[in-house]
Amino acid sequence: MSSGDAPQKLRFIGRDVRSKEIPRHVSGRGRFVDDQHVRGLAYAAILRSPYPHARIRGINADRASEAPGVLAVVTSEEVRSTTSPFKLGRYAAGMPVEVSEFAMAVGKVRYVGEPVAAVVATERMKAEDALDMIEVDYEPLPAVVDHFQAMEPNAPLVFEECGSNVVVNRTLMFGDVDAALRDSDVIVREAYRVHRYSSTALEPFACLASYDPTADELSVLCNAQIPEVIHDGLKETLGIGAIRVSIAEVGGAFGQKIHLIRKYVVITSLLARKCGRPVKWIEDRTEHMMAGGHSCAQAFQVEAGVRRDGTVLGLRIREVDDVGGAVSTASIHFTNKLSALVSTYRVQNVALEGKAVVTNKCPVVPNRAIGKPALCFVWERTMDAIARQLKLDPLAVRSVNCIRKDEFPYLTPSGNLYDSGDYQGLLDTAANAFDFPGLRSAQAEALANGRYLGVGLAMAIEPGGRNAARDMSIANERAVGAAGGINGATVRLERDGTAVLVLSTPNAGQAHETTACQVAAEVLNMSPELIRVAGPTFDSAVSAWGIASANSGQNFHLYDIGAVQGACQKLRDKLLALSSAILKVPAADLLISDGAVWRRDPRESLMSVAEVARLSYSNQTVVPDGLEPGLQATYFYQYPYPTPFMLPGVDGRVQGQFTFSAGVHCAFVEVDVKTGLVDVLRYLIVSDCGTIINPKVVDGMMFGAAAHGISAALGEGHVYDDTGQILTTTYSGYGKPSMHDTPRIEIIHQPSPSPRSAFGQKAVGDGAAIPALAAIASAVENALKPLGVSVHALPLGPEAVRALVDAARIREGTGVSQGV
Amino acid sequence: MSDCKIAVTVNGRRYEAIVEPRMLLVTFLRETLGLTGAHVGCVIGECGACSLLLDGELVKSCLVLAVQADGTEITTVEGLETGGVLHPVQEAFVREYGAQCGFCTPGMVMAALYLLREHPNPSEETIRSRLAGNLCMCTGYMQIVKSVQAAAVMLGEREAS
Repeated sequence: MSSGDAPQKLRFIGRDVRSKEIPRHVSGRGRFVDDQHVRGLAYAAILRSPYPHARIRGINADRASEAPGVLAVVTSEEVRSTTSPFKLGRYAAGMPVEVSEFAMAVGKVRYVGEPVAAVVATERMKAEDALDMIEVDYEPLPAVVDHFQAMEPNAPLVFEECGSNVVVNRTLMFGDVDAALRDSDVIVREAYRVHRYSSTALEPFACLASYDPTADELSVLCNAQIPEVIHDGLKETLGIGAIRVSIAEVGGAFGQKIHLIRKYVVITSLLARKCGRPVKWIEDRTEHMMAGGHSCAQAFQVEAGVRRDGTVLGLRIREVDDVGGAVSTASIHFTNKLSALVSTYRVQNVALEGKAVVTNKCPVVPNRAIGKPALCFVWERTMDAIARQLKLDPLAVRSVNCIRKDEFPYLTPSGNLYDSGDYQGLLDTAANAFDFPGLRSAQAEALANGRYLGVGLAMAIEPGGRNAARDMSIANERAVGAAGGINGATVRLERDGTAVLVLSTPNAGQAHETTACQVAAEVLNMSPELIRVAGPTFDSAVSAWGIASANSGQNFHLYDIGAVQGACQKLRDKLLALSSAILKVPAADLLISDGAVWRRDPRESLMSVAEVARLSYSNQTVVPDGLEPGLQATYFYQYPYPTPFMLPGVDGRVQGQFTFSAGVHCAFVEVDVKTGLVDVLRYLIVSDCGTIINPKVVDGMMFGAAAHGISAALGEGHVYDDTGQILTTTYSGYGKPSMHDTPRIEIIHQPSPSPRSAFGQKAVGDGAAIPALAAIASAVENALKPLGVSVHALPLGPEAVRALVDAARIREGTGVSQGV
Repeated sequence: MSDCKIAVTVNGRRYEAIVEPRMLLVTFLRETLGLTGAHVGCVIGECGACSLLLDGELVKSCLVLAVQADGTEITTVEGLETGGVLHPVQEAFVREYGAQCGFCTPGMVMAALYLLREHPNPSEETIRSRLAGNLCMCTGYMQIVKSVQAAAVMLGEREAS
């Protein structure tokens, strides 16, 4: 199973084979939830709170129930009386108080858009019409919008049962930070803020639920990222006997569809059970923007103890997370940082103090690398601050702190064992390819003409393959129900000699089908054109799924690739054993290649694979004793290497994830000090994501992730007014840039293959979204350095940049800049 | 308001139907005709996932009522291939990996097709400004631009032969 085997010559891995998915997308044959129709289908619509914080005194749905076409109505009161609350899972690890969270707002609403009732009707428009007839008697309450105000003693409580809006408050300390700060030459103190943004997948949440009362069986087809979250959520809340979860093609996810979506699957299922017909619910854009989940606004206070040469001896991070109006994801932006706590650096003493604060805003969800972009922002801004204060080169400060190539495998102070990397090598390549000296002279020349150019950089790791026990490292009781990761795959050789794969993870645009077929082709030594993946992408009744079945955690590259490889090796061995029996030639003398069974020496084609396959299913007399007939194999993969902190240690040390990609991002920007607009002139990524299975797939994901990070840095984001109303419910209001406003991105690959994955592959997907925020901030700060500006907060939209410029000029006594 | 009778030609085939006046063209295509290629990402004309050609013009079908389409000729993404062979614009998106999740793709392909009719050899700047009405959250647009450039070459070669 391991890549410890001698390096093999790869035929299909590393090539841009023809996509398995894109032909159906370009021809309109995608299989998204909303594309599916079943007989008797009814349509749901959801009534949502217009208030950020209000008590629900009563709901009257009588008129709506009588409205034309309406089949059933469910109110939050009915949800309370007929369902159970969700259990607080590992995304709320460390919550000291058990809080009941139902699929709808019960008792009070805590954010604009929180569901309070739902209608199912024969047509969607009729369901939407009926929403207007539901009367909700609200008693508005004062809202807490800002998470620092929410921490004040007399702030209104979002959850009374918690007694405070600070619902999680934990400190993890690795090494001795106090001593490190004491021993350092300089202490760099900074405060940083990263704002609330989102991934705004083009396809909103979607669900189609059917309930069979005779079998007490619920079937849901939805576009969620983690089947377990949906399955367990339905089981906990509805207590139904049998639950089948299928995941259709997912129209973009990015973490957004992991968690909050479970509420809506429960609501749709309730409606289906109540009206006795299959029910489809499709969220609309406004609903998604206001209530589909946001990333977490995170504020940090940082103290770095530094030696004069830039070496960081210790870092203390105090973090305050604005987690919005729910507790079920309260600590995920804190715990996820444990996968990347020291980033690329060999710092031995690190403390992370985390507070999760509830507010009357949309709940946070895992969003494109969950907290790691903000953690990277902290590290990289601190590196730039050290360079600034100690008058060192920003590249040199990173170099002196990087984990060295000969230190891998490297055990970090928080218990992560990094598999492979050459961080200095990435920095060197970046420095050469980006031509820092050349850009700096262009910068000086431009400045002489009143133009502000800046060059910045940031580096980060991208951990891959989640350890399911990670988040419990902050829980007091350390009850660990899951650890590591397990996921499976099935392969079958059809009687015509083609192969079909059944995968166990939803696909949301990461080309799982293409990639899995390349891996299967490699092992089975047959063309990927003869291999296909059975759809839908996930079906709990068919897929060989385990805890690692998740379009999340960068799991696919480790667990699914490992499972496909394992299943195909089992199948290949079986095929050889059967061929050997049929041909009366020892298996060791046979090989499989391109549809035929060959004698190795002298090389001679003996029989077609299709013929062996046909016999395996139809003639038991050729099947030798002890060999199971049929050419099908299922393999469950688990991470096969010893891991010192697979289970969290008492000190909180834990292996967060298992493979560690890395990247250096370089940005060259021009800042227009009059308008505050930032133009990205050049953007380069130097990447190590291990062995690349499909170059265009990998590049595509990196382009997209980096573009999102750049755009988040430069202004896209969610905005609330002081009363708690969300102002960003459309793409343009939210500030999503178009193709025209998205910069070109260059990529250089410099892989350090993992010695601990099937083919040396490491994670890719979210990675480029991690350092992009910091790289842009670094470049903007560098551009405005002549004005004395330093960048501590995102986003850097035009207003914010103008404010930085104006503040600097007021400080300098030169007056505010002239408006345009 | 009472329901209306409309007749439209979609991908060369004529359909007659009774629709509610408030029904959107994209809903009519998806729900009434079962042509689910055009996708709904925003319903207010921002994302472009429902783009198609109406009497040869590029429109966002969430901004057109079904009744407004009465008497028109519509081409959707389902109407581009011939005999199971992809149109060069579609083929270019496949080869250059101009799609990831695929949700924006049908609209992107239609917008690219329209662009290349007007500008057979577009510059990158032209591609980026003319396709600015179609959003994609996955790709960062790099491989979409490449796909359109490749499609221009393929269409040019087809023209030449």
